[in-house]
Amino acid sequence: MNDFRRFADAAFSLSGISARPEALSGVRVVELATRIFGPATTDYLGEFGAEVIKVELPLRGDLMRYVAPEGYFWKDVSPAFLPLNRNKLHVAIDVRMPEGKELFTKLAEKSDVVLENLRAGTMDEWGIGYLQLKERNPRLIYAANSGFGQWGPYSRGRASYDATAQAVSGFSAITGFPDQPPLKAGFWVGDYTGALFSAISILAALFARRRTGEGQMIDVSQAETMIRSLDWTWLYSGLTGRDRRRAGNRDVLLPPSGIYRCADGFIAISARDGGERAALAKTLSADLHGNDEDLTPERVDDFASVRTSAEILRLSEEAGFSAAPVTGGREQYHDPHLRARGTVWELDDPLYGRIDEFGPAPKLSESPGRIKWTAKPVGYHNEKVFGDLLGMSSGEIEDLAGKKVIGKWADVPGARPPKGEQPNKASAKAVTE
Amino acid sequence: MIPYPDRMKEATDPGKAPDKPEALAGVRVLEYCPGHFGGMVAASMLGEFGAEVIKVEPPGGDPARAYTPEGMTIGGTGLLFLSEARNRRFVTLSLESEEGKAVFRRLAKASDVIVASEGAARMEELGIGYTALSAENPGLVFLALSTYGSFGPGANRRVKDSDILCQALSGTPHIVGEPEGQFPPKPHEAPTRLGNWHGWFVQGLWGAFGVLAALNFRAGTGKGQFVDVSGAEGLMKFADYNITWMHTAGKARQRVGNFDPAVFPYTYIRCRDGHTFMAAYNDEAFESLMNIIGQPELVRDSRFSTPASRVRIENEKALLSILEEWSGNLTADEILRAVEDYTSKKSGPGAAVVTGRVNRPLETLAEENWRERGCFARVDDSTYGDLLLAAPPWKMSGTPARIKSVCRPAGADNREVYRGLLGLSPAEVDSLSSRGTI
Repeated sequence: MNDFRRFADAAFSLSGISARPEALSGVRVVELATRIFGPATTDYLGEFGAEVIKVELPLRGDLMRYVAPEGYFWKDVSPAFLPLNRNKLHVAIDVRMPEGKELFTKLAEKSDVVLENLRAGTMDEWGIGYLQLKERNPRLIYAANSGFGQWGPYSRGRASYDATAQAVSGFSAITGFPDQPPLKAGFWVGDYTGALFSAISILAALFARRRTGEGQMIDVSQAETMIRSLDWTWLYSGLTGRDRRRAGNRDVLLPPSGIYRCADGFIAISARDGGERAALAKTLSADLHGNDEDLTPERVDDFASVRTSAEILRLSEEAGFSAAPVTGGREQYHDPHLRARGTVWELDDPLYGRIDEFGPAPKLSESPGRIKWTAKPVGYHNEKVFGDLLGMSSGEIEDLAGKKVIGKWADVPGARPPKGEQPNKASAKAVTE
Repeated sequence: MIPYPDRMKEATDPGKAPDKPEALAGVRVLEYCPGHFGGMVAASMLGEFGAEVIKVEPPGGDPARAYTPEGMTIGGTGLLFLSEARNRRFVTLSLESEEGKAVFRRLAKASDVIVASEGAARMEELGIGYTALSAENPGLVFLALSTYGSFGPGANRRVKDSDILCQALSGTPHIVGEPEGQFPPKPHEAPTRLGNWHGWFVQGLWGAFGVLAALNFRAGTGKGQFVDVSGAEGLMKFADYNITWMHTAGKARQRVGNFDPAVFPYTYIRCRDGHTFMAAYNDEAFESLMNIIGQPELVRDSRFSTPASRVRIENEKALLSILEEWSGNLTADEILRAVEDYTSKKSGPGAAVVTGRVNRPLETLAEENWRERGCFARVDDSTYGDLLLAAPPWKMSGTPARIKSVCRPAGADNREVYRGLLGLSPAEVDSLSSRGTI
């Protein structure tokens, strides 16, 4: 075992993580966002130790709570809502009311970052936009995620989801098969890509603030982040005046790399350099008992279609080219490698019990990310945040609740706690301590 | 009172970036990622925010300079490399000799961040791995990019990292593409890769995120660390609720083409001039859409009356035909106007009818909006000519990202870096050069 293995085994053991320091501890984030683009951004920050206060409207809260795959709610929560909202403190404020606006502003005063993904200008109309909040907290980093940005011709009146960004950026036009219509990626890639770009800019702004002492405004359009992601698409159009075309499952930059049908599923075959190409060619020609070393996708197709994925993997290792099976959620869920890495994270949640989720993507050896708890019902942490952080008395909190400035969950699946688990204040506090 | 968009433009217009400070000024990044696009992306993200990036290529140039469509090259460099090779200094160095490794260690000692794609264990064997380099530079942040990650029971699988491997293992092709119809399946009825190198791109984004989190930790503690990013896991993280869906319902998602198992309508519909996106999945928005298409009675149709009934696949198909009967006679722009006219009078959930044309790249380029927002940069370079590049996407008021330079030939900055940064004498540089080390 070399030095690196010894180091990695010690540094990346999952068992000790809860006692290790966190990369973003001391950073407080207030989120006023719905669905995916905004919540995913703060989820990424929360995984690395930022304290994220998720502000929702009382009763129904974030509309993502009602996006339930096949209409299925598990323990009265949507399995699609959970992975976007871990390690967050859930409070419910009606920020459209004057007292709600003031409460939100107090949270922003005590925070490092505000993240929102409402339509451009909505927060400003409500009096809690960047220009108003920075008067109260000049160190505030304010990130506004939106479809088309805070200014510019498309910023007014145009709403956006993930697939809007997939569509308008050109991403879908280059995804799919040449003889078929453009293909929408069947997952919300336009949201997550935008969210990760947004999180990166927030971290860069936090780094800059150590030197400048000043916060700033960050405007992130999800369509524009997808445009940035399309590698050589723009240079090609700029030089040729032509559109990059859909290439199906072929990687046209590294031929004959691509995804191929094999006898028992699908497999990626990859040849990145001359050595790998030669190894693949040798494997193919041995198969045909011939000397033709012309590496065409058709030849790889013939080779793969009559072999199992396991056989191709074995041949790739023997010969020296690369291959990997096309896997789905089932394989990932049961993969010991992904579990050992905390990529499939085994979480014991105080409210929901055992729930396995995606863990942090980058693995940090000194200040590792972690999942501490999963999403909670609307307003679940009101008492903790308003009491402990803002120093409000229980009388003041009850008064605001009576005026419907703050509130809790509606009695509907998606918003409320699991049946038989109506937590009182004490258990709500126990969750985060 | 100046209108909100104008105030925001004033604050964040990327055209004003050259006069503003940079977020990562003073951070030095050493990029050693031969043939690897994810590493380029990670370094670009840091470089756009002002980090000083030194790209180390093997003498003769990085293999990634050869990656290009249709054999197109400019000055010997392909389009992929040219599109991402911004804001860097380009040095060459062979790590095959002890002398070359010693130079690399000196560069590493002078750096804050290393971006590496050659395999952490392999780097360790060469004497330029994390444990060796961090001993000499305890504040070093070492980013390792790979397919499977650097630890765990599967970390020693022998592959050369690539976009297609990261995509295949991410679980995203599994849920992208058309399901199989009648036997035998057609070629396109298959798990489908994303058209761009999104696996490698997202790997690079997570790499930059991990480095920035680590730099934040270092600012408080002085400690560097090892940051391990698997490209497969990076894109996997974007695969929605794959894991919670398995855990709670015991189900793995399958391909549904342009449909969606959780929300509908949320699909591409045919229109007179191509395709456009159409979404209106909560009850209020669905009612709005049915009014827009002139079929308000469908709100009470039992196939469509609840979110749960709308996501049954047979009902998704029925609704798609109804929508396309309407959209087939309209252009994407006419559909957008119809939606905007209706939703501008609404607020709240009823306004959540969302559309947008499925643009070909040239259609995107033709839209004035992106130009006004500074999304593209045209750079006329003396070596590589006229380059159309995607600009940094963020608009920031304080420390905006920017493009300061474009691709340079391999080794173009050897003298500046080896003499200026490492303090080698002209004779030493010449001798490294004569032995083929640089």
